[in-house]
Amino acid sequence: MEVMAKVAFGLYTLIILGGSVLAIGAKSLVRAMVGLIATLLGVAGMYMLLNSPFMALMQILIYVGAVCVLIFFAIMLAKAGPEGEEAESAPIYQNVLALLAVTVTGGVLSWLVLTRPLATTGVPVEVTIEKLGLGLLGPYGLAFELISVVLLVSMAGAVLLAWERRNGK
Amino acid sequence: MPAEFIRILIGLVAVAVSVGLIGLVMVWVERKVAGHIQRRPGPYEVGPNGVLQPLADALKLVGKQLFMPDGADPILYWLAPVLSFIPVLLLFLPLPVGDGLMALDINLGLLLILAFAGLTVLSLLLGGWASNNKYGLLGAARAVAQSVAYEIPLLLSVLAVSFVAGSLNLAEVVKGQGTWPWNWNIMTQPLAFLIYIVSALGETNRAPFDLPEAESELTAGFHTEYSGMGFGLFFLAEYANMVVVCSVATALFLGGWQGPVLPGPVWFVLKVSLLMLLMVFFRWTYPRVRFDQLLTINWKWLMPLAVLNLLATSFFVKLAQFTEVRW
Repeated sequence: MEVMAKVAFGLYTLIILGGSVLAIGAKSLVRAMVGLIATLLGVAGMYMLLNSPFMALMQILIYVGAVCVLIFFAIMLAKAGPEGEEAESAPIYQNVLALLAVTVTGGVLSWLVLTRPLATTGVPVEVTIEKLGLGLLGPYGLAFELISVVLLVSMAGAVLLAWERRNGK
Repeated sequence: MPAEFIRILIGLVAVAVSVGLIGLVMVWVERKVAGHIQRRPGPYEVGPNGVLQPLADALKLVGKQLFMPDGADPILYWLAPVLSFIPVLLLFLPLPVGDGLMALDINLGLLLILAFAGLTVLSLLLGGWASNNKYGLLGAARAVAQSVAYEIPLLLSVLAVSFVAGSLNLAEVVKGQGTWPWNWNIMTQPLAFLIYIVSALGETNRAPFDLPEAESELTAGFHTEYSGMGFGLFFLAEYANMVVVCSVATALFLGGWQGPVLPGPVWFVLKVSLLMLLMVFFRWTYPRVRFDQLLTINWKWLMPLAVLNLLATSFFVKLAQFTEVRW
């Protein structure tokens, strides 16, 4: 069983990495979205491996079933061709900024992973939905509400972008 | 560990066989019903009463050459029909056909079905987009707007039932209902049943909500460019999705395998067939709605009604808990 878990872990990692490479490297936006879908499915598999099927299914229901469909909608509205301007390489300062972002985030994350002790190595126990619901409304209520602020910010950002473009014309 | 795997494997084989059989039967039923509703006999040349017609159709589809239009995206074009069919096999696993007769007995069965049903829409989108055809693209655009909209009332109506049952396991929901029709959830949740059926028609792209493939406007919508089994897989997936939707409706609202006298699986199949026949009747009796009407029905009627129904349900569930009344 442990060997199978390791094989599954390797498989999901491959799917996630392959999907993200496709998402970044593909010239066609729709192919990039397929890469994103593969990555999200791989993450769902990881949740499954952590014995939390609820999270895995919610990941598929929300991210693959709803968010990606909406992204597709946006792609079709933008009418981006396979050789659109997005496919050209960005100016040099943008590349430098992107590199900076990757090093800072990756550095902090790997520093945390390398220095902090492992929280647990035990076999994860499945948490029932009742417990999850009580936790989200009780001790983790604040964090749960703060996550929704992220959605609000992204919505406000989208409106702001559309507003600027309209006024610019 | 092996016992569980073998169970799932047997379930998968059974599902694959029954999906094929259901496809054949449904093609015949649909054409016959359509014929009789339109006062013509329907297929009657191949076999007695045309029962072998779907077999001939299937052979024709398998034998046809597979075309891909110029300028289409080759990978996505062939990925789409496969992607439409694969998740369907998963959808059947948590369905309780009889007492204990299900391939995958998990607590989140209902959620599994809802999650993987969303993948079907993606295949429509990819197929429509990758065909490099304006009708395909229009069909895909319609499929997005429609499925995103109709998923919400569907989820809300399902949630109302699972509030009452207190479980997302379909077998548990069935066990919470009684033998006789007045013990079924449809008696306590008639509005949810109505909302569910209407949004299920929208989700499976069945007429009167078959806008993504509206023949008279878009030739064939998202599958315009597909020939042979490319089209065949989309077609099979549509029928399989119909069966899943009807089975979930049966388990949630119509008491699943519960019923007097006859054994459980027979009742289940009977109820599902009845609902399927109802969907076929809908297709051949109602005209296709316009796209703005489709969205109006959803956003202005189904959605608020579903939210109200959910609020009322949770209120009564809490009330029942406080007063210790069993209903």
